[in-house]
Amino acid sequence: MNMIRMIVTIILAGILTNNYVLSKFLGICPFLGVSKKLDTAMGMSAAVIFVMVLSTAVTYPIQRFVLEALGLEYLQTIVFILIIAALVQLVEIVLKKYIPALHASLGVYLPLITTNCAVLGCAILVTEDFGSAAYGFGEGYLYALSCAFGSGLGFLVAMAIFAGVRKRMEFCDIPETLKGLPITLVAASLVAMSFLGFAGVVHM
Amino acid sequence: MAKKTISMRSASNENSAAVIEETEETTELINTATAETPEDTEGADNKEKTQAEAEDTSLPEAATEKPAQAEKKPFAGGTFADAMKRGVILENPVLRLVLGTCPTLATTTAASNAIGMGIAATLVLICSNTVISLLRNIIPDKVRIPAYITIIASFVSIVQMMVKAFAPALDESLGIYLPLIVVNCIILGRAEMYASKHAPALSALDGLAMGVGFTTALLCMGTIREILGAGSLFGAKLPILANQPILFFSLAPGGFFVFGLLIAAANKLSKKNNLPVRNGCGDCPAAATCSLSGKGGCK
Amino acid sequence: MMNILIPVLIVAGIGILAGLGLSTASVIMAVPVDETAEKLTEALPGANCGACGFSGCAGYAAALSKGEAKVGLCPVGGKAVADECASILGVDAGDMTPKAAIVRCLGTCDNTSVKMDYIGVDSCAAAAQLYGGMNSCRFGCIGLGDCARECEYHAIELCNELAIVDRNLCVGCGKCAKVCPKQLIEITDRKPAAVVMCSNRDKGALTRKVCKVGCIGCMKCQKNCPAGAITVENFVAHVDRSLCTNCGLCVENCPTHAIQEIF
Repeated sequence: MNMIRMIVTIILAGILTNNYVLSKFLGICPFLGVSKKLDTAMGMSAAVIFVMVLSTAVTYPIQRFVLEALGLEYLQTIVFILIIAALVQLVEIVLKKYIPALHASLGVYLPLITTNCAVLGCAILVTEDFGSAAYGFGEGYLYALSCAFGSGLGFLVAMAIFAGVRKRMEFCDIPETLKGLPITLVAASLVAMSFLGFAGVVHM
Repeated sequence: MAKKTISMRSASNENSAAVIEETEETTELINTATAETPEDTEGADNKEKTQAEAEDTSLPEAATEKPAQAEKKPFAGGTFADAMKRGVILENPVLRLVLGTCPTLATTTAASNAIGMGIAATLVLICSNTVISLLRNIIPDKVRIPAYITIIASFVSIVQMMVKAFAPALDESLGIYLPLIVVNCIILGRAEMYASKHAPALSALDGLAMGVGFTTALLCMGTIREILGAGSLFGAKLPILANQPILFFSLAPGGFFVFGLLIAAANKLSKKNNLPVRNGCGDCPAAATCSLSGKGGCK
Repeated sequence: MMNILIPVLIVAGIGILAGLGLSTASVIMAVPVDETAEKLTEALPGANCGACGFSGCAGYAAALSKGEAKVGLCPVGGKAVADECASILGVDAGDMTPKAAIVRCLGTCDNTSVKMDYIGVDSCAAAAQLYGGMNSCRFGCIGLGDCARECEYHAIELCNELAIVDRNLCVGCGKCAKVCPKQLIEITDRKPAAVVMCSNRDKGALTRKVCKVGCIGCMKCQKNCPAGAITVENFVAHVDRSLCTNCGLCVENCPTHAIQEIF
């Protein structure tokens, strides 16, 4: 089925060729900050996937039915960021009340995600890629959600790989000047280089 | 064969008699200077010039980008030159505070993009800092962050529209990173740390200084990446390099790589090894048996 | 006019909706907050070192407010914090002695020798698994810095391949002691007393072969001690700190200088 193939393609593209962290440079701050240990990296990625899908689910219809219908595309930035900020806050409150265990593990990362380029970037990009120009609402909505999910997964994969790399680097003999962030960035460049190899694998 | 050793300096007091209050102070000093984040110290004076020499390219722009005006305005918080020095060298938001990494990596494939991004961010920074500072006594504390985000988002939208109108080519090349100035950590960070506590004039100045610092860092990276990755500078092709560009630098990995090396250079130029050194062997338990104890102690 | 009004209304509408939604949510779904625990968390130093045995300061505060823990468990905060917690809880503080760590080894690279060239993971725990480490003395300090890395107060320094604790900076949290693979680090009180700086439990002759300043178990200190504070067991001496008067006789008489006065 064409639609299922498209969805799988989108998800794979989000992980391999259009990886948000390693190709698009979105979400670098948490990528560098939280990737020291695997469990914190996984927690952060789970939170990012959750927020990305949720915010796309809310902002895509608003873009279609409110902003574009009234010709107010220029309000996109303000409206999106307001919605995302409010949404994340709401999620935190709900989690704290109803699933305290999840809040204890994920809750720390939620405020970090509010001002994260990845979430806002995803919300804006899907309105461009799967917007009203090319797709009807139902189709476009589905593709937008899968794109958000795929990008989140890509974030998770990148974080997992990088956490492993950083763990290995802990015991290496690093020159004084490069200790800390510089060598981390060089390692990130090598991981990004490896992902370049996926270019052309997925045709969208 | 030399064995691997790691040495970390411990703080010590001026006199060998231990005073608990002093050690708490020095402990605090050490705790604020961890291994990961670069320390804020009195940076090297000619960081810009030596940095230009350290990189293997000619960067006339980087050296002159540092503002030469030493106009002294008698502000309470310091002079104009002080603020500029702080924003560009001592607390450069990209290279020392490591904020705003996403646009740094993404928009520096060409030097013209880098300048465009830097100027846009500077505009937003100055305006938002001023407005937030004007409203700082009115905004309640609980809704502080959403309010700041709204103000910043409005200015970003304005700048977005201006760029779309007056420089559509820049809008094309910056793409999604123009609206993403909203979530740039520098702007929100400065709003929270500075603008909410100081007068409008000072906040505007701080915004300008940070913006200029941001632009300078972006320009450095953009120039390096463009010269090496595309063999051109601001679009003008360079003689030899244009024939054999190193594509690596224009792509994603190159961004990380150059950024990492720039931060290493910045750390190297500003670090004066200010971790306190153990003062002699007086209080060392191993002093009696250590061969170095008469000769000034370990390192 | 409508051009301006509609967007303003929309953005204002979204803002108001979000604000109202969030405020109602925070009221409806409010989680009851333990006031005492909050006050206690503020009183605690916030180092989250885990020395109290709980998961960070918040965990300890929660246990305290539920009455599941005693007051004086925080070595970092010491007596001052214990008193504050006691006053918040309304109980008696009890006694709290300040503590500090000491590495019971003097094996610098001049005093000892190496039995192999170690090329491997830069960690004491890793080196210790390879035939007990690269030093000739299998009980001594490996010197690769696991304790120094663990210390959050930067109180441990590696000098001449021996870990040395700066007792002025040490807060006695005990994290280094847990990490040392040779269990060389002891957390003692801060009273000036003599400490035997060797943990080598081999016979005297063997100890002498591997280290110039190791304790050979000759019992001179035990015989000379006026307070009877020293016992020699397993060819290594040990000072009972509660009995030691810090007279310094043992330090003078030790043939290998293995005993030091520690403050």
